[in-house]
Amino acid sequence: MKTTMKGITVIVFAALVFSACSKEDNNSAAQPLSVVTARDIVADTIIGFSSIGQPYGSGKYTFYSLENNKIIPSTDSNSTKWDIGFRGTSIITNSGISGPGNGGAFVQIGTFEDLKLISTDSVFRTDLSTSNYAIPAGSNRGWYVYNATANLLTPIPGRVLVIRTALGKYAKVEILNYYKGGVTPLATASDDDKIKKQRFYTFRFTVQPDGSKTLRD
Amino acid sequence: MLFTLLCITAFVCVHAQDDSTLFNSPLEEVVVTATRSERKLSNVAVPTTIIQGKRITQSGSLRLNDILGEQTGLFITESFGKGLQMQGLSADYTLILLNGEPLIGRMGGVLDLSRIAVGNIRRIEIVKGPSSSLYGSEALAGVVNIITDQPSADRLSATVRYGRFNTIDASVNGSIKRGKLFGSAFVNTNSSEGYTLLPGSRQKTVEPFWRFTNQYQAGYDFSPKTKLSATLRYNLEDITNSITVQNLGQNIVSTGSEVNKDLNFNPVLSHQISSKIKTQFRGYISTFQSVQKLDVKDLVVNYNDQFRQQFYRMENQTDLLMSNRFNMNAGGGYIHEGVSSNRYDSLSTQRSNNIGYSFVQAEWIPVKKISVIGGMRFDANQAYASVLSPKLAFRYQVNDKMSVTGSLGRGFKAPDFRQLYLNFTNVAAGGYSVFGSLVARDEIQQLVANGQIDNLTPSYNKLTDLSPETSTGINAGFHYSPAKSLHFKWNIFRNDINNLILTDVIAYKTNGGQIFSYLNISRALTQGLEFEGNWKKGQVEFTGGYQYLMTADKDVLDDIKEGKVFTRDIETGNSRKMKRSEYAGLPNRSTHMANLKMFHEWQKTGWFATGRGIWRSRWGTTDVDGNGVINREDEFADGYLQLNVSGGKKFENGIRLMAGIDNVFNYKDELNLPGQPGVNWYLSVGYDFMNKHKH
Repeated sequence: MKTTMKGITVIVFAALVFSACSKEDNNSAAQPLSVVTARDIVADTIIGFSSIGQPYGSGKYTFYSLENNKIIPSTDSNSTKWDIGFRGTSIITNSGISGPGNGGAFVQIGTFEDLKLISTDSVFRTDLSTSNYAIPAGSNRGWYVYNATANLLTPIPGRVLVIRTALGKYAKVEILNYYKGGVTPLATASDDDKIKKQRFYTFRFTVQPDGSKTLRD
Repeated sequence: MLFTLLCITAFVCVHAQDDSTLFNSPLEEVVVTATRSERKLSNVAVPTTIIQGKRITQSGSLRLNDILGEQTGLFITESFGKGLQMQGLSADYTLILLNGEPLIGRMGGVLDLSRIAVGNIRRIEIVKGPSSSLYGSEALAGVVNIITDQPSADRLSATVRYGRFNTIDASVNGSIKRGKLFGSAFVNTNSSEGYTLLPGSRQKTVEPFWRFTNQYQAGYDFSPKTKLSATLRYNLEDITNSITVQNLGQNIVSTGSEVNKDLNFNPVLSHQISSKIKTQFRGYISTFQSVQKLDVKDLVVNYNDQFRQQFYRMENQTDLLMSNRFNMNAGGGYIHEGVSSNRYDSLSTQRSNNIGYSFVQAEWIPVKKISVIGGMRFDANQAYASVLSPKLAFRYQVNDKMSVTGSLGRGFKAPDFRQLYLNFTNVAAGGYSVFGSLVARDEIQQLVANGQIDNLTPSYNKLTDLSPETSTGINAGFHYSPAKSLHFKWNIFRNDINNLILTDVIAYKTNGGQIFSYLNISRALTQGLEFEGNWKKGQVEFTGGYQYLMTADKDVLDDIKEGKVFTRDIETGNSRKMKRSEYAGLPNRSTHMANLKMFHEWQKTGWFATGRGIWRSRWGTTDVDGNGVINREDEFADGYLQLNVSGGKKFENGIRLMAGIDNVFNYKDELNLPGQPGVNWYLSVGYDFMNKHKH
């Protein structure tokens, strides 16, 4: 409960900061950027099991606008309204085969706080094919590690997803958790429990609305 | 069985010294493992412990892991059976010898100690620190040498024990001596219905098993100078498997068994050439076979996993006593080992390796109170790089109460067949594959040709012939004996391990599955302090021991220094840099381990009683925060205290009664200690057909 309360506080605070920004545009460069936490963003959660026992979802991505901090309906998937999309462990950017936007991304090793400036020589990748997204899928390849023994997925600490939004602005994202309520089930929990609670993203992010590569918060 | 019959029919008793008389005897304990020749324990320059057979019996131990788990600085691990962790090194790195010959049949690098019955063990010698200069591969952390009863007189005894979980253990142990001919037999059966720690589990935590051990020895003394003996051991282990996997509402039932068979044959010919030269020829044939079969319901393809290993060795060792100040031994041998498994290629493909080796060791006593031992061994291998293993040790007797010892040596572990030739694909768990380093490139090329490879990782280009894993170990000891009944010893150790072989991802399949192979990629260190105290007065003995241990993956230490290791804050879930002080070292190691044991005997009445407390502090289990190392509070298992008690009486008519309770406090940790079922009681009855009047 404590963390949930904190999360709400952060979101409320963020909203306040955003509204404050819009009122005093001339001062925006000096304003600290806010860190927003998005919770329980469903990413094609399991809706059933096949005849051979394979879990499946609806197969649809959840599209998210970092700039506006909200979920974008899938009817707008072919637009620049969204910046990143989630389906299971796959995270797409609004680029290449995934969308019409000017998006892109790469994974940086380090802490969220330490990433204050996207270095000028960094290369943003785009979604080239379903097996070659800007953010690599697969255990220990991009943002998560999967433990087959415990059947649990954990975001690797110290991995920042550096995002270029659909409209070409810059943002940083840290995936905090992959399970419902932001709580990873215990290793002893049943497989059923682990499957039902997975594909709920908790992540925090910061967007630089002025188009620069500074991400100081 | 022939010898058993011989023993049963041979009722003519020759009264001889019973083992139990050792208790009050001033005879000095003798150890052979430390130098490959008989030495007084107090004169040995390397950290050595002896466990006497009587203590094993009194402690109610049935299998080797039972008794080793109660010793200072040793810890029993529970992956791939019961493994032995010594000086903080994994079970892969301790050589287990039976009468000087290596036991084979390691699975996942671990020799399962529960395959070894202890009912006929005369003593166990434990030498800590690298001993590859004498024993070659696997002796990085140390050596455990199990020395079984040597036939010396006519003896016959039988013991039956019953305990919790329908555990039945029965042994017959006998020996016979007729002039120059002697023989002995040991037969043991050990079975249990197993147990379930987590109710509702679809598989028992420990499945029902039956183990059957036979060991026969025969010998002939041609003359006092020339002796021939041969030992045959056959061991069978049959574990029932019944696994019900609930795969999302569907029950998949698999039933079958795992059958492990060991066969060892060891002829030894010793000859005293002169008063100063002794030579010994040893032959050793050992085979191990493991067959796991599972009939998976509703599945056409059943699981049938087979592993066969052979180990043949010929060896000669010659001891030279040059003078009172100088002696040496030298030897050499030839090993042929082979493996076939359907986990590698097919059962018909035999993978093999030939090793030729020679060793030499010299002991020099420059002045009365100082002895220096130097030795080295060279192992020339066919399948991997050759290894030179030197060792240097010294001992300084300060006065009759104090001595100082020091040793420095190198140990190695050869890449095993699994690391070289494994060809395994797990279809069930995401289709991952593991390829041995010698077959990985070919397998990958094949998969590339089939279009099944998505991409290769940088590790793929690092695939080379594996080198042996090596360690450098330092031990520094201090012994202090303020009174005849009181002994203390301290030992500081450090092991630096290089070229550790780990699996790493070398490629990704197009279906997302990972492909692993083995690379010499890791470095580690273990260091610590060990203390043991022993107080023996009359018929009571107290022993206590403690080990402080610190371990680390050296690459992790470097990464922490460079700020490349991160963790998550438990409250917020946010990443931050991990501090050095948070790093708990290698998993499954306790920083503190201690034991306190009491053995009491009443010789006149034949009673004995023991109490043994074993404590270990918390230890790292699994990485929860995803950084691959143990650091967070929730990544540890709780420390615990286990108290074991036993007592019994030996009657004048030859009957022996014994009862015991292990884990009196009923400590359980279902997740982290699957081998600990909680309180465990037993009762046993034995009968000595001969030597009845001795206690």
